[in-house]
Amino acid sequence: MLALLPHIVNGLTLGLLFALIALGFMLIVGVMEVINLAHGSLFTLGAYLALSTIGADWFAGTGFGSWWLGLPVAARYVVALALGPLLAGAAGLLLELCLRPTYGKAPLYGLLLTFGAALVIEEVIRLVWGTGEQHLPIPAGIDGAFLLGGLIFSTYKFFAAGFSIVAILGVWLFLERTPYGAIIKAGAHDSEMVRALGYDLSKLRLLVFGFGAALAGLAGVIMAPIWGLRPHLGIDVVIPAFLIIVIGGVGSFWGAVIAAILVGLAVGVTGAYAPAWSLLSMYVLLVLVLGFRSRGLLGRKSALEN
Amino acid sequence: MITLSDIPRRGGSPFTWPMGLFLAGLATAPLWLAPIGLYQYLGVEIAIWILFALGFNLLFGYIGLHSFGHGAYLGIGAYAFGLFQKNVDVSLWGGLGAAVLAATLAGALVGACLSHRRGIYFALMSIGFGQLFWFSAIKLRHITGGEDGLLGIPRPDLVIGGWRFDLNDNAAFYWFVAAITGLVTLVLWRLANAPFGRVLQAIRQNETRASFVGYDVWRYKWATFTLSAAVAGLAGGLFAMAQQSAYPDVMSLHQSGLIVMMVLVGGGLVSFWGPVLGVLLYFIARDVLGGLTETWLLWYGLMFVVMVMVRPEGVAGLLQGLRRRPDGRPAPLGKA
Repeated sequence: MLALLPHIVNGLTLGLLFALIALGFMLIVGVMEVINLAHGSLFTLGAYLALSTIGADWFAGTGFGSWWLGLPVAARYVVALALGPLLAGAAGLLLELCLRPTYGKAPLYGLLLTFGAALVIEEVIRLVWGTGEQHLPIPAGIDGAFLLGGLIFSTYKFFAAGFSIVAILGVWLFLERTPYGAIIKAGAHDSEMVRALGYDLSKLRLLVFGFGAALAGLAGVIMAPIWGLRPHLGIDVVIPAFLIIVIGGVGSFWGAVIAAILVGLAVGVTGAYAPAWSLLSMYVLLVLVLGFRSRGLLGRKSALEN
Repeated sequence: MITLSDIPRRGGSPFTWPMGLFLAGLATAPLWLAPIGLYQYLGVEIAIWILFALGFNLLFGYIGLHSFGHGAYLGIGAYAFGLFQKNVDVSLWGGLGAAVLAATLAGALVGACLSHRRGIYFALMSIGFGQLFWFSAIKLRHITGGEDGLLGIPRPDLVIGGWRFDLNDNAAFYWFVAAITGLVTLVLWRLANAPFGRVLQAIRQNETRASFVGYDVWRYKWATFTLSAAVAGLAGGLFAMAQQSAYPDVMSLHQSGLIVMMVLVGGGLVSFWGPVLGVLLYFIARDVLGGLTETWLLWYGLMFVVMVMVRPEGVAGLLQGLRRRPDGRPAPLGKA
């Protein structure tokens, strides 16, 4: 059991990171009932935008650029951590405008449109940043590793896991404790009534999608130092995200968080015994959970079933 | 949309003008491919993908089950063909039989797990299973050759009676693929325009109502899934011959998504012939746009996004729009 402990710790941190990845996906699926297959691409876009912010790709030649590059990495990293997600969120706003003709039709069309959008975003990334693998620099304070009970743990992974907890709680507080969250949840529950009460539903959807895309970008910036940056990263991201939502149950916040931690633990513990197969464990988990509970762990009935 | 009243109860003769045009195009392709600046191998590729797409559309367009993991069955067919050649016997029909059998079995198994689902949940589960196969193909290195796949798969000779044809010649191979594609197309057309096809569309329009009328919806869904997996397996076997290799890439979500895009862009939701148009458009885009710009996939993706936004009925829907009757109603689509 003690030998398994580091793998459990690893699995837990991985689970928290998965929860962060799934957060934006869950918000969009829960509120708008759109399966956003472009989630992974927005994630990658956010990370690349952060990379360019830190490296001053587009303004290095200017006076501002040289001043900017003179700043310590930590300061640039904090700005990139804000700017990357914001710009990814802006891309999300644009995507939501494209999605509008598909509302009221079968959910398939939303799925197809975001699939096409994922392809487009990926190609744009290839065009702008090239196809090679890149590395996102991180401040020295959260870099490196530390020893704990005779085992080496990566500091950054713990920073990222802690960051995920903050982000998860932040989103939860926003949804549960603010009037905006109440309107968003009401919109998911009964959009007609929300409209009748005088709220602008199309603006609401626009903001939710932008917020979800920004969360995707945020997850991208946080995950990039761990997973590396390549244009086709998106597909490696959107699959776990959607698996987690399906396992947790569409529309359930804590269901998704629990599912993410379960998936993380499954991957972490399988990694101890059969590293080559560790990623497969999430599909096995999916088939097992859905075999017994067809709507996932805490899922409710949703319009997506029709 | 295809509506029930548009479809004759019995399909009648499959030899309608689109079928004639299709078969004529298939039969004469080697004569005009080179003169218009294309190459022989492209014909092989297009014919194989048309086969795959038509089988897929029975599932996607007719019964309305949106599978995003169908590349898996193409891949399984390709691997089965290659493994049969390597481990059992160098035989054309044996290999293709193994390809169809393996894909049918996999399809029957997965279909049994998926057939009580509908809508997005079906799509999500199909992605899950597709990834499962893809991942296994990469990881079972001693069987499948890992990321590189199976290389050097032979193209066995075709023997009919006393004649022996060497399929290593791309022209001979094209005729072989075209003959199979033509035959399967006839069978699929007949199925789609038979009472079976009518039931599939009834299920797509309203599953609950179809089951109240007395159809065993689960069995229809399962049978359609298995059948389309079988056709995908056949296409996969031919694909392994064409590429002389089988690799996990064809099973990826990317490829499975591409076939969905092709079928939708062509208009598989409204016409039997939609997938054919979609495959043609894709390969024309790849070869013509790809010749002009490195980023052709970007433009193809943008075209797809715009299409989903403004005209999800695809090219076939556009053509039907042009054929509207004077009173504004769409022309009957039964045989189109």
